[in-house]
Amino acid sequence: MPTITYAQAINQAYREEMRRDPNVYLIGEDVGVWGNLFGASQGLLDEFGPGQVKDAPIAEAAIAGCAVGSAAMGLRPIVEIMYIDFITIAMDQIINHAARYHQLSGGAVRVPVVFRTQGGVGMRNSSQHSQSLENWFVNVPGLVTVMPSTPYDVKGLLKSAIRDDNPIVFIEHKSLYPTEGAVPEEEYLIPLGVADVKREGTDVTIIATSWMVLHALRAAERLAEEGISCEVVDPRTLWPLDKETICNSVRKTGRCVVVTEAPAEGGFSGELATVVMENCFEALRKPVKRVCGMRTGIPYPAELEKAVVPDDGWIADAVCNVLA
Amino acid sequence: MTSERMLALYRRMYLIRRFDELCYELKMQDLVMNGFHPYSGQEAVGVGVCAAIGADDHVVSTHRPSGHSIAKGSTPRSIFAEMLGRRGGVSQGIGGPMQWIDAPNRFFCGSIVGSGITVAAGIALALQREGKGRVCVCFFGDGASNTGSFHEGLTLAALWKLPVVYLCENNQYGEAMPVRQFVPCQPLSKRAVSYGLEGVTVDGMDVEAVLAATEAGVAQCRAGSGPAFIEAVTYRFRGHYGGDPEHTYRTPGEVAEWRKKCPIKRLRGRLLADGVDEAAIDALEAEVEQELQEAQAWALEQPFPTVEQATEHVIVPL
Repeated sequence: MPTITYAQAINQAYREEMRRDPNVYLIGEDVGVWGNLFGASQGLLDEFGPGQVKDAPIAEAAIAGCAVGSAAMGLRPIVEIMYIDFITIAMDQIINHAARYHQLSGGAVRVPVVFRTQGGVGMRNSSQHSQSLENWFVNVPGLVTVMPSTPYDVKGLLKSAIRDDNPIVFIEHKSLYPTEGAVPEEEYLIPLGVADVKREGTDVTIIATSWMVLHALRAAERLAEEGISCEVVDPRTLWPLDKETICNSVRKTGRCVVVTEAPAEGGFSGELATVVMENCFEALRKPVKRVCGMRTGIPYPAELEKAVVPDDGWIADAVCNVLA
Repeated sequence: MTSERMLALYRRMYLIRRFDELCYELKMQDLVMNGFHPYSGQEAVGVGVCAAIGADDHVVSTHRPSGHSIAKGSTPRSIFAEMLGRRGGVSQGIGGPMQWIDAPNRFFCGSIVGSGITVAAGIALALQREGKGRVCVCFFGDGASNTGSFHEGLTLAALWKLPVVYLCENNQYGEAMPVRQFVPCQPLSKRAVSYGLEGVTVDGMDVEAVLAATEAGVAQCRAGSGPAFIEAVTYRFRGHYGGDPEHTYRTPGEVAEWRKKCPIKRLRGRLLADGVDEAAIDALEAEVEQELQEAQAWALEQPFPTVEQATEHVIVPL
């Protein structure tokens, strides 16, 4: 199986889906000539032309609104919002329009848009280019929210998202683009709403999202040397959430640590903890422990931006805490 | 224009006026609940614009959509029922008076000021790609011309020459804010120039002028030279919403002056001058009255959605 980067996996998903269905088109800032900041859409303009790869002005509301209108007409746009921080400009179109049309039309209109974007720290981009804002979307009825952590997952999930008839917020992580992983040459899809056990273990369940999955796996590796067996679960889709996989794991281990890069308060980490408590409280031998980003704007210097979000050390400490 | 066509426009304008008045009464009885934004006074705009497009064309409207929707072809029954929150409404009663989608009629509207301008660009992108010459008309108000969505949407539509007729219905007020105080540009159509568009201002109380300007805009879009930008200057006879404290922001004298320019009275005068028999007009009005009474009675008999029905279709099953 070839090893490719997360960014290359996105590029492959794009190509396969745009070849399969000419109604799939890409719209965003610098998606064409430039080929996306991380190379995710490199070469697509050459292959598909400006009808299917649309460089748009820096106008996120127009980009998102245009996608919503054209999706309601049967096209299948993939919107690229360069940084999730910029999605604030397009929130009206996503929340008040994309998420509402299916229900308002009594099921007659579908809005098959993928809003692809990326968040998190890792590029020394400071507080308006590094946030983790996924929580907002999980709370909106009518939206599906996806956060893939590996090249294999991002390709399979992006292809499924493009084929799905719902508006989908598809959140990547800037620190994941250069990461590598095995991706099969033959076509595959990963269903939305299905979690993945990234590492099996027996002592504690670590539920982590996006880039935090990598930190959780590193923590698990370290702890294994000390004889502690961690199971790492990646929800992959935040809504609809695969409660079954999560709770089966917690029932097995009896202990649970939840990890998100976003701050804890009012966030998805609380949702995960609550799902565990509502569904398998009897299995818990210790309260659920959360490991989340500090409640701060992301600082600029390289060492500091990483110091305010969880890493394998924070996670390992939390695991030891619930095992104590 | 033939008297026959003019009479058809008159019928539609009269129907929309009476529909609005009946809704106002229903609002006063709390049967139409909140979010009802009356359309009285602006009928020449909705009717003139929609007379210039076909059933295959699309319309994106505002939080004041009833006149546009009926002019585009929604049935009074389905709009009454929506106003009342009943099954059988265009959005099965869950949308209410300021947001609905009449999909078979290719009609969208919503209650966030300005954002329809961006959505219309997307509808037009799909129509442009289809290449059959269909167009989208996007209604918005004077207030919407201050939003970021206006600037962004116009920018995109103009860059890509999308087949949208942007129709600014300048009714003089954004809620309680007078346009002269809150839009730093007169006439408002001058704003179009910054997008490389011509920008036309027409008398929105004159259905023939609105129709002619829209026909020109539609032809331009069908020919691939869109978008078009038209400002129709009109007036909202009633408050921003049914029962708002109008006296706080405008005088009865001002309203009375504009009522003298009533587009329906004006068209009636024109019909009479053209030699149309007054009895024929009266008969047509009586027929409209009957149709609306029947539609209203039907709508009032429809059930409210159940909780199950009201929460259907939130998501397409994965």
